[in-house]
Amino acid sequence: MPERRRVAIISKVIVERIPFLSGNEAIARGAVRAGLGFACGYPGTPSTEVVEELARLKGPVVEWCANEKVALETGIGASLAGARTLVTMKHVGLNVAADPFMTLALTGVNAGLVVLSADDPGMHSSQNEQDNRHFAAFARVPMLEPSDSQEAYDFLAWAFELSEEFDTPVLLRSTTRLSHGRGRVVPRAPLPVEAPAYVKDVAKYVMVPEYARERNRLALARLEALRRRGEESPLNVLEAGTTDIGIISSGVAYAYAREAFPKAWSLKLGMSYPLPFHKVVKLYDSVSRVLVVEELDPFIEDQVRALGLPVVGKEVIPSNGELNQEIVFDAFEPVLKTRPPRRKRPVLPPPAVITPAPAPADDLPVRPPVLCPGCPHRAVYAMLRREKVAVMGDIGCYTLGALPPLLSLESCVCMGASIGMMAGMNRMMGRAAAVAVIGDSTFFHSGITPLIDARYNDTPGLVIILDNRTTAMTGHQGHPGTGLHADRSSGPAIDIGELCRGIGVAVTTVDAFDEAAVKKAIRSALARNEVSVLVALAPCILMDRSPREQVVVDDDRCNLCGLCVELGCPALVAGPESIEITSDCTGCGVCLAVCARGAVSLPVAAGGGDEAP
Amino acid sequence: MNGVATVSLAGVGGQGIILAAAIVAQAAMADGYDVKTSEVKGMAQRGGSVVSTVRYGKQVWSPVSPRADVVIATETLEGRRALSLLADKGTLVYATTMIAPGSVLRGEKDYPDDIVAAARARGIQLIAVDADSLAREAGTVRAANVALLGAATHALPFGARAWEHALELAVPAKVLEVNQRAFVLGREAAAAT
Repeated sequence: MPERRRVAIISKVIVERIPFLSGNEAIARGAVRAGLGFACGYPGTPSTEVVEELARLKGPVVEWCANEKVALETGIGASLAGARTLVTMKHVGLNVAADPFMTLALTGVNAGLVVLSADDPGMHSSQNEQDNRHFAAFARVPMLEPSDSQEAYDFLAWAFELSEEFDTPVLLRSTTRLSHGRGRVVPRAPLPVEAPAYVKDVAKYVMVPEYARERNRLALARLEALRRRGEESPLNVLEAGTTDIGIISSGVAYAYAREAFPKAWSLKLGMSYPLPFHKVVKLYDSVSRVLVVEELDPFIEDQVRALGLPVVGKEVIPSNGELNQEIVFDAFEPVLKTRPPRRKRPVLPPPAVITPAPAPADDLPVRPPVLCPGCPHRAVYAMLRREKVAVMGDIGCYTLGALPPLLSLESCVCMGASIGMMAGMNRMMGRAAAVAVIGDSTFFHSGITPLIDARYNDTPGLVIILDNRTTAMTGHQGHPGTGLHADRSSGPAIDIGELCRGIGVAVTTVDAFDEAAVKKAIRSALARNEVSVLVALAPCILMDRSPREQVVVDDDRCNLCGLCVELGCPALVAGPESIEITSDCTGCGVCLAVCARGAVSLPVAAGGGDEAP
Repeated sequence: MNGVATVSLAGVGGQGIILAAAIVAQAAMADGYDVKTSEVKGMAQRGGSVVSTVRYGKQVWSPVSPRADVVIATETLEGRRALSLLADKGTLVYATTMIAPGSVLRGEKDYPDDIVAAARARGIQLIAVDADSLAREAGTVRAANVALLGAATHALPFGARAWEHALELAVPAKVLEVNQRAFVLGREAAAAT
């Protein structure tokens, strides 16, 4: 066999062994190559095959979730647990997941977390045509847009690295023609990845106002750092060509532009947000006019215009539907026959001003909000903080349990997130790694779907519903569990226990102030191999102001150990020589339960105090 | 600023700051001023520091101001804290009520005792009343916020009729009388100092 022919056959074999992958398959395999530990999503065209492909591959834990919001919350839990995580959905799915997404942008991640939004220009299989690149700008997170299957494969490694380095979720945008197009993908060597350990960090993961303000400052500063990274990143490629035109594009639009104008200068934005200003200016320095080719909205175009630079874009390129090389060529061809615009000097926006945290006035003691004296949530936290579990929290008065001295809750992302986050952690770290704490009103708001999801995916875990029979934080409004309407009339009340049992979830209901029962219920639930619910029931103290006996402290027995003060009750004052009880005491008795020396007691109620013979 | 005066009402969530601000706003309107107010609700209500703002003048645009001409504080530490809002030579009307925040309860921080010295150093007028005792004398400690407003009448230009009208408009009818008593006691207590 002649030498040349043999080489040709060998190279043909090699080429044929190079996988011919859809963009979605490439995303899946690229994620596995980058050390993916967990993936989940909700099916939606054109995103679906990513999870399907991952379920076929060995390695990562893969789940379909009840919806995109639950999927992202579960993904956040997995990221906290140290697993590189991919959450997939179609464009409209991100509307459903927007609540966790917008606040995840503040908390950041532990292990890398990538959210795939598969958009559908042309609405082949969708009810709208929204351009989800706006979500990246909205949340101030980086957005990656691969333009073919090979890039889809390669970008996953970049995405996870950016996510971890900049402590941010990364939005990965695909479109139908990428997800459902095919191309050859040269596989790369798997990346060595170390799973970061989960570390409780209340100021990072509990987005109460004080901590969220600081994370927001960091997110703003992070955006500027990402912009600088975009200037040097190989994700944003400047290719030289003829000087008559330069084309800025991203995603599959790059392929159309390249084919329509193969000789033009090109700036391909693999990371299309935040915009690398200097690379854009460099393109303008090299050519006499610039075109922006993008499907749907003038997302890049508007940012370039804001630099004061002349652009040809959406006045000739359609804002609806898909593009192709002919549309691009026909749109720009007449423009090229006109005179190029006058050169303009760009005006680069200076970094945005960020207000620093105000220093406490005159070093005075700050007064953060606290759980009220007599609050039933404190009773549950007093027991829960003794267990070695991560407590995933939610949004309501009980979020205050995260603040000193209780420090009993370690996450707060959005309404209903506690249960999905617990599920993600337990999936990756073992059945009793985390528990979820959620209020009754929040449970009805968005706690039911993640409970259904945990049941469906057979994820073990304990969900504690702090049922204080009202929406307390906002001023005691009704909710479906109370049946109380906006006009204070009564309607049907939905029973949490029946609801949970209907899903097939075991429920235990205890009096929130019965510390022995709470403790026993927590212990037995943590030993279960399936999800279960503990309803800790006691009405909000502010709804029941009937006068009660106040606790008394026996100074002789008290050794000032401070265990009771650690409850953060405003009615307990640590004096230099004794514990004082203020007039705010409601006699709830939680401090009795934590006192090891029996120094705190409630006077026996008059008339009811007959001692047994 | 621009002929607009700012009254900031500071206290601990749950002390009735929002009602007190509503009364001040009504009194200003009764005397013919344009008024804008703002308040913070939600999480701040659970025993945290709260500040409401009432601005009055010929024409008011902004509902907030980083600088106050008069501060009315229902609690001493919050009054001390709100000194940073007060313009020099402004007036601080405060209740001698002391509510220790968590860090003081736990013995990590001291409750400040320098409110008088810090105010005097800046030429700030002080009006202090034991609003809790006055309110108890009137019939309920929950009227302490209104007792304090009685004291604040000496720092604000609104007429007696305007205040009367404001109380009738802002205070729920079933507790109006006890609040009116508290208001008068506060006004008298401050006049005596």
